[in-house]
Amino acid sequence: MAPLRLVPRRGPREVALAHLVSAVTAPLGGDDLELRVTVEAGASLELRGVAATLALPGRHPGGSRAVVDVELADGASLAYLPEATVVTARACHESVFRARMGEGARLRTREIVVLGRVNERPGSLTTTLDVRRNGPVIRQTSQLGTPEVDDSPAGLAGRRVFGTELLCWDDDVPEAISEPWWSLVPLARGGSLATALGDDAVTVERALDEARARHPGSKGF
Amino acid sequence: MNLAALMIADSRFPGGGHVHSGGLEEAVSRRLVHDEASLRSFLVGRLRTAGALGAVFAAAACGGRYAELDAELDARTPSPAQRNASRVQGRGIARAARRAWPSAALDELLRLTPRPHHPIIVGVLVGEPFAAAQTAAYHAVTGPATGAIRLLGLDPFGVNAVLARLAPRIDAIAAMAADHVGTPPEDLPAPSAPALDLLAEAHDRHHSEEVRLFVS
Repeated sequence: MAPLRLVPRRGPREVALAHLVSAVTAPLGGDDLELRVTVEAGASLELRGVAATLALPGRHPGGSRAVVDVELADGASLAYLPEATVVTARACHESVFRARMGEGARLRTREIVVLGRVNERPGSLTTTLDVRRNGPVIRQTSQLGTPEVDDSPAGLAGRRVFGTELLCWDDDVPEAISEPWWSLVPLARGGSLATALGDDAVTVERALDEARARHPGSKGF
Repeated sequence: MNLAALMIADSRFPGGGHVHSGGLEEAVSRRLVHDEASLRSFLVGRLRTAGALGAVFAAAACGGRYAELDAELDARTPSPAQRNASRVQGRGIARAARRAWPSAALDELLRLTPRPHHPIIVGVLVGEPFAAAQTAAYHAVTGPATGAIRLLGLDPFGVNAVLARLAPRIDAIAAMAADHVGTPPEDLPAPSAPALDLLAEAHDRHHSEEVRLFVS
């Protein structure tokens, strides 16, 4: 049984839409999940989550792992928009989003991580964003759930929700836009990244929405 | 003892590093850092993220492949303000190094870019992975630490003791970085520091709007 069910929206549309529905309680400690996505030349796909993901510990020591591996052919588009991941107590989860982009391909991907349910000490999460398009676009690994980094003004500054949205969608923001707890910045070799920190998921989601609205490609989302 | 490492880490080295606070000035202006304890927390977080990234790339640069390292470090530094701070400090070191330590490796790096990333030129000049990584990791905390003395009027002896107590962590990070020698550039670790990225961009904006003591 597949832990993740893809529910496509029927009917003719310009962008194929499928919802990601979790069919089992996952990720649990010991799980090793992999989703491979291929978008062929010129095709457009949107993958949307329907509910938050709870990363939970297993009964035995050892963490869980979820990998999303994306291949975008020339001129292909993908919007990958899962709901937030909540890192519960004692969970030890590793998540990787990897994408390889062809010429003229477009990618939008959002990640929101919540450290623990309300008043819960979170477990740990290591999340990697790794995108290449004829060379590296972005690679960053965030290690969350380590108190001395979470609480540090240099790490998460005590905020329990962390969000990023990568926008490799035609044009880029010409220069950095900076607000106290979010920013939208142009990457070195194309692509723009929004980053937000907050005390709750709603605030971070709104900050990312605001950042995305300031992106020159936002008409196409 | 690696003399180049000592000289580069020395605050009297004419590399221009003294005008950078590594995000500390913005953290101070937001009252996120206000005393020795919060400074220590800032430094530990910075060391484990930006410090570890610099250490990894300084160690890796002892083995060449500068163009790939340059692109990979760019991809691991989303904040343009931080990319610029790294390259400005790299160029500062290059100016001193052309006279002090001319070499074929240095020429090769500067032919590629006159504004190399700071950790990469440190690796080229120091030449030994562990020492280069130690220098880069130390650099990640010493600028903000001395910045805190100037911005907050903290006791210099207290701040110095905070720095000294980071030694085991700096060495552990340098050892991790040295273990990555031989790892292909694209597979090198990429530790992120979300708050530091936001502080760097906010500082950059304020720096152009009002008087700030430090450039970054």
